[in-house]
Amino acid sequence: MTARGSVRPRPASSFELYSWFFMRISAIIMVLLVGFHLFYMHLVLSVDAINFEVISGRWSSPFWRLYDFFMLTFAWLHCTNGVRIVIDDYVHTQGWSVFAKAILYLFAFIVIVLGSYVVFTFQP
Amino acid sequence: MAAFADWFRAVTYRGREGQIAWMLHRITGLGVFFFLALHIIDIFLMSFGPELFDSLLFFYHQFLFKLSIVFGLFPGVLYHGLNGIRVVAIDFWPNLGKKQAMLWRIQMIVFVIAYIPSAIIMIRSMFGTH
Repeated sequence: MTARGSVRPRPASSFELYSWFFMRISAIIMVLLVGFHLFYMHLVLSVDAINFEVISGRWSSPFWRLYDFFMLTFAWLHCTNGVRIVIDDYVHTQGWSVFAKAILYLFAFIVIVLGSYVVFTFQP
Repeated sequence: MAAFADWFRAVTYRGREGQIAWMLHRITGLGVFFFLALHIIDIFLMSFGPELFDSLLFFYHQFLFKLSIVFGLFPGVLYHGLNGIRVVAIDFWPNLGKKQAMLWRIQMIVFVIAYIPSAIIMIRSMFGTH
């Protein structure tokens, strides 16, 4: 960056690079998946029209189950990684930072498991 | 009062479009995080059968919740998505960075064009004219 001939030090781990890349890739995928989801569920249908029967009908096709699984996984990992970055930005005490991230990852795990469980095991 | 002064200083820091874009991205992102947690957990309740699931739908069908979808969730996701596209574009084609402020203005025009008809459709359906 500067003309002093100094080289920016290479980070010890490439985790942040993969994190950055994942956010971009999941963003592009979600623009399509979430874009259509919101368009269809809120504009073509409406919140009032959605009930057990509608979702059950949707999951009679493996396509929509996979669609929902990918949407939920990408969205929730993107969300979790976003909150991790927010914690890094605002929580400077190491103990609190570890504590907040532990809760975040535990919560992320529970939500992914619950969501995937229903998408794959649901029987009408 | 001090908190308000801090807040005012933060939002009037002279970062212009880039700062506003970043702040809105963070606020909408955090908002979507909380909604999405609720949403995945409510869909999980599908596994307990129609009686339980449909009996809890009153929560999503109440007027205040639908209002918060129209004026909170929907514009929040729309902004986060559009701004995300701009961020991705600038990251992959760094030359666009010189035009980031103009791109943000274009993005906000797209936001208004997409949001207004969507909001009208959702508000009309709230009053049963869908």
